[in-house]
Amino acid sequence: MRYTRHFVVYTPQIGGVRDKMTGIHTLHEIIYKLFYVYITKERDIMFEKLKKIISNSSADYTDIRYEDKTTTNIGFSGKELNTIGTNTTNGFVIRVLKKGGFATITFTKESDAIKALKIAEENAELLSRHIKKPIRLAETNVIKDNFSPKLNEDPRKISLEEKLELTRKYNAIPLQYEQIATTSTRYFDIVREKYFVNSEGSEINENLITVGTLAGLTSKDGSLLQSILSGSFGSDGFHNVRNQEENIENKTKIVLDLLKATPVQGGTYNCILNPSLAGVFAHEAFGHFSEADIIEGLPAMRAKMQIGQKMGMEKLNIIDDATMPNQLGFYKYDDEGVSVRKVHLIKNGILSGRLHSRRTAAEFGEPISGHMIAEDYRFAPIIRMGNIYIEAGDTTLDEMFEKLGNGLYIIDAKGGETAGENFTFGGQYGYIIKKGKKAGMIRDLNISGNLYQTLNDIAVIGNDFVQNKIGGCGKQQNNFRSSKGGPHILIYNLIVGGL
Amino acid sequence: MKKLLEMATKVCDQVEVFSQDDQFNKVSYENAKLHDINSHFSAGIALRIIKDGKLGFAYTRDLNSREELIENALHSLKGEVAASFQLPSYQELPNIKSFDTSIDEISSTKLVDECNRITENWKENIKAEIYVSAWTYVQKIRLLNNRGIDYTKKASWYGAFVELLFPGGASGIIGSLNSKSFTPFTESSSDEMIKLFKFGEKIVQPKSGKMKVLFMPASLNIITRRFLAGTNAKSIYENASPIKDKIGQKIFSDKLTIYTDPLNDKYIDATAFDNEGVPTSKLLLVENGILKSFYNDLDYAQKLGVKPTGHGYKNDYAGKPFPMADHLVISSGATSFEEMIKMIDRGIILVRAMGAHSGNILNGDYSVGLNPGLYVENGEIIGRVKDAMITGNCYETMKHVLAVENKPHNVGSRIPAVLFDNVSFSGK
Repeated sequence: MRYTRHFVVYTPQIGGVRDKMTGIHTLHEIIYKLFYVYITKERDIMFEKLKKIISNSSADYTDIRYEDKTTTNIGFSGKELNTIGTNTTNGFVIRVLKKGGFATITFTKESDAIKALKIAEENAELLSRHIKKPIRLAETNVIKDNFSPKLNEDPRKISLEEKLELTRKYNAIPLQYEQIATTSTRYFDIVREKYFVNSEGSEINENLITVGTLAGLTSKDGSLLQSILSGSFGSDGFHNVRNQEENIENKTKIVLDLLKATPVQGGTYNCILNPSLAGVFAHEAFGHFSEADIIEGLPAMRAKMQIGQKMGMEKLNIIDDATMPNQLGFYKYDDEGVSVRKVHLIKNGILSGRLHSRRTAAEFGEPISGHMIAEDYRFAPIIRMGNIYIEAGDTTLDEMFEKLGNGLYIIDAKGGETAGENFTFGGQYGYIIKKGKKAGMIRDLNISGNLYQTLNDIAVIGNDFVQNKIGGCGKQQNNFRSSKGGPHILIYNLIVGGL
Repeated sequence: MKKLLEMATKVCDQVEVFSQDDQFNKVSYENAKLHDINSHFSAGIALRIIKDGKLGFAYTRDLNSREELIENALHSLKGEVAASFQLPSYQELPNIKSFDTSIDEISSTKLVDECNRITENWKENIKAEIYVSAWTYVQKIRLLNNRGIDYTKKASWYGAFVELLFPGGASGIIGSLNSKSFTPFTESSSDEMIKLFKFGEKIVQPKSGKMKVLFMPASLNIITRRFLAGTNAKSIYENASPIKDKIGQKIFSDKLTIYTDPLNDKYIDATAFDNEGVPTSKLLLVENGILKSFYNDLDYAQKLGVKPTGHGYKNDYAGKPFPMADHLVISSGATSFEEMIKMIDRGIILVRAMGAHSGNILNGDYSVGLNPGLYVENGEIIGRVKDAMITGNCYETMKHVLAVENKPHNVGSRIPAVLFDNVSFSGK
């Protein structure tokens, strides 16, 4: 069942920059209009199909999401190409609320729809018999909309050959060096065409198009191996993966230098984190606890994380804003049909907002925010961050180094994890700072901290700002579009693991 | 599927068709209350072809358009991914019982009842935030190739995961159960968890330094993940393993024997063939501390000029096979968990860790947060450690084994607890 495959290239909202340049704009417009009629018809057929499925539901609320997901993958391991190709898959997600019980089911065959609906309803009723407090969904607007993002170069219009050549070119940069043992260089684009219908009357078609390149570089000297990541993802077109040569050159130099760097000595340090790490810090150290589904079932944490609670110094502002155009975490509607809004999570050091589903918004008695996101058709949505960032402050980097005196400067993210009040994350490389000056490169940087303490230990916030180009979060499902950002920040008393 | 194989064989030299069908049902309790029931059923088909020494790959949800699937696979040949390996031919395989028919009788109601039973038992006894989940999973795999293979596998998996969380933090004592059919979570497992939880209610802040660390089975993956990166044929081929040239050498303590055991159908997911149709067998990776072998798939076996070991597995139908050390076993030792604690003059029991996936994995380095750790002094558990990390290198740590537990825990792999000496601990 693939209703949309044959016209994906002609999605009407996509501008024709190249066509304008070659002077065929008028012809393009004609084709455009013809296809617009075709698409509108196909879209209506899809909405009708979904409405028909949920018309069989006897639940109090039902929604259904159908997705076509087309993925292009290209991958090199060292000199060898090991993956190339484009494939489309698809599937359905149904969620029902019946007598106060809420259940979800995912399936891939249209012929299973009625069976799936029945199972979900039975499970919801089973839930309703075992829970004391019926589940409610917060109210939201009925939305009828079709939305595709504006793209700067549509990846669907770029040939597989061109994508391959670009990836090959990036992969070759580090391989020129003898001490590079291997690389893992990947290109991907993921096109998700989503159709959402609920029993309240919403009908939403939104397309999410993610493009990215990611290179893992490994250097080797004797039995010592070091590794680093370079990459760029984006939600607004193929331009995000162009012009990466300089980044990869720089990272190659750093991974070679890391072979000579000193392992950091374990202990507690005052540290400056660069914007990439400050973003990961905002995501891991705090962001996950602003996701209401995380703290919903943790009464002691929920009691501590009350709106109005002081979390950090007055200059600290942390925001999630999935409406930021052109950023990786951009979207218009979440996967339960709610229009996403900018949320101030921490305002002037005070906890001031939370990321919600309709279910948690009703449970907490707080406003809905539109943060229910699924990886794809294989999953029911869960609460996710969009573009989270620490707002820039007023201190220059020079002033910050002066303020630090002795400590560590840690650069670029290398994975992180949150578990309850504690979090860890890795830095790709760093420098020992003595009297405000770099005094030698260090490696093996892993940091651990505590939610309630570490936010309070943020001492200085820089006046620069970068929203990371590499995204991702692995909370139950993968979300490539989880984006993090911030300025340089100075934090006191971070625990750094080391020998 | 046979028709797809026939059609593809007409235009390709070698053809493999892989199909997977999954059915999953999971009940979750959060804070001792029923929270969710999630169900999932899906199917998918992957086509892998080799033509003129080049590899093609495509996948789909259904067989509505065999032509399109073949066309996609042929199109991907243009990338010129080299493939000089040969798909295996048919062999008589041992009869493996990976499916227990009673799995079909485990309804959502039964899962709810079991979660409820565990939860109610604890609610009375302990001031923990209780998380419990139980699930059933049935997987069907069919693998065909044009060298005569038509293998099928059906596997059942009943699982439960239980957590006693310390209020305010969401880290806690965990327990798990993995079986081919319904198995109640036992009272003795429950009692052991309660005992550890009670020890952990008091928070202590030990001084930084080198000490003994007792890795519980769920945290030992920090070590095994790094070792398995180093024994993966891909790392060997790419010259990215620190133990590339060490076959036959003693690399670890002689207390350690590590192998994969895919044919033992007493445990979940036993299989007589891997996802490429290579017959599986027990493979010794380390025997009494001596490195014995690396594990591979067809591609890397051919690249290294060695025999395939039958470790080509996919993450799901849409993935390509890759060397994976599924069915991992660390041989049990002779010491009980209690005796191991008595052996610690100053050290940590690592229940679970944060950040196992970050850091310099290929080099074997680890640096993880305790989630949580219990602090032991003179053989007695003193309390729980928060806001601290342990750091080491797996190749170094595995040399300093003091004891291996006398009991394997079925945490997906069969892993006992292991007590190591000389691990760095950094706290506040």
